[in-house]
Amino acid sequence: MRLTPGPARDVDLDTLDLFDLDLYSTGDPHPIWDVMRERAPLHHQVLPDGREFWSVTRYEDVRRVLGDHREFTSERGTVPTHLGTDDAAAGVLMTSTDPPRHTEVRRPLNAKLTARAVRSWEDKIRATVRRFLQPALDGETFDLAEQALLLPALVTGPLLGIPEKDWAELVQLTAMVTAPCDPHFLVGSEAATLAISHHELLNYVRDWATTRRADGGEDDSLLHHLMSVRPGGAPLSDEEIALDGYSILLGANVTTPHTVSGTVQALVERPEQYAKAQADPTLIPGLVEEGLRWTSAACNFMRYAVDDVQIGGGTIPARGAVVAWIGSANRDASVFPDPHTFDITRDGAKRHGAFGFGPHFCIGAPLARMTLRIFFEELLDGCASIELAGEPEHLRSYFIAGMTHLPVAAQKRHTP
Amino acid sequence: MESSPQMVHERGGQEETPQPQAGPSGASAALAQEIAELWGEHLGSPGVGPEDDFFALGGNSLAGIKIIERVLLDHGVRLSVRDFYLAGTPAKVAELIEQGRAGT
Repeated sequence: MRLTPGPARDVDLDTLDLFDLDLYSTGDPHPIWDVMRERAPLHHQVLPDGREFWSVTRYEDVRRVLGDHREFTSERGTVPTHLGTDDAAAGVLMTSTDPPRHTEVRRPLNAKLTARAVRSWEDKIRATVRRFLQPALDGETFDLAEQALLLPALVTGPLLGIPEKDWAELVQLTAMVTAPCDPHFLVGSEAATLAISHHELLNYVRDWATTRRADGGEDDSLLHHLMSVRPGGAPLSDEEIALDGYSILLGANVTTPHTVSGTVQALVERPEQYAKAQADPTLIPGLVEEGLRWTSAACNFMRYAVDDVQIGGGTIPARGAVVAWIGSANRDASVFPDPHTFDITRDGAKRHGAFGFGPHFCIGAPLARMTLRIFFEELLDGCASIELAGEPEHLRSYFIAGMTHLPVAAQKRHTP
Repeated sequence: MESSPQMVHERGGQEETPQPQAGPSGASAALAQEIAELWGEHLGSPGVGPEDDFFALGGNSLAGIKIIERVLLDHGVRLSVRDFYLAGTPAKVAELIEQGRAGT
């Protein structure tokens, strides 16, 4: 989807189809969300097959839906591609589990992923990012969006305990989960693509755990940690290990690449912002937050209303599905003045909801923030300027806002 | 893996080389019915037929994992994950099992 919106346009809220994939691959959803926040902060849509869902688009409503599990449960599924089918992994998979069980499982994992805990990875990540950027610095046309799909695996592979030979396949599988209709990832049908990728990823983690158990190997990796935690006094079941390992792989792989590509695209279009960050590297943490807000790679998450609930000036009936559009919330002018302006010095950019809100706030956020900071430090240090070298292409997905191609050409910076 | 004489015998005692691409024989119709029943068991919907669609029946990967495990136990054939979901119906999965037995 376009991150810099085109002109405002008339929107017929009654016939609007938010699941129209063309809207995201070649279209421009921001002017639509602008109208929804203004005129229909609670929107109802019925799909041709009879499934229905409500949408919230304002910042405060998105925060409430994602943050309050008593009103809006995660236990029937949280990803809109599964709308209408209760999550088979509810109560086991961490993202589809409400507190208190969710809190019990999350706490020991979180200890490994705090800002303080991930700091010890900084030098390794910087070396990885330098290797990643080297071909771009050599002056070749560099398809950043395509290459960036591998970046999280390069960074998190050692942390997760995954051997390098498996990364490419895992990246392909996680992309299939999040964009099953994109022609780069589609296998057969959408349903087959989702089932194949879920199945292969679950098998991968299960086989990984079985092998580790058999050879008694111990290491400091996150997947190994999953096998040793005892939330509520008992170890996780094999099914929980497989599902939570799957969830961690997914979270690591599918969003960060699109924040990298979308933020670089914003900078390519705004050379003055690029120059500003280059002249003053202390602006880079702000650039990262603005990039997270701007790209909102996790475009939405879904919840189900527990009871009838009043929100956005209307009522969602008990058991109704509600999609919280994070991409829209992050352009809400009541929180982010002049929201469609990309400004690396924006005050309060860090209030964005790109990592979600509440109990399910992204567990990898500190690692993602640090990786993005290092990426932009190295990019700005290594490249005098960056230009577009071909047509960008956007991901065909209403769940992940992303790019599949962003060819760029960099001018190497000759540091004095 | 070479196909053994025993496999040929199981396929109805035919003397010629097995032809896995051929349409359903009597043996594979029975196998398709058996797979349909296995699906019914794991998808919680009795009365699944050989031509029913896995996803239309509400099939997902958690059911698929269990079904592929059962096929390995009952028939000694490890189905490819991709082939299983792209096959879509018990009849086509039965063909995959026969191909697997024949080592093709």
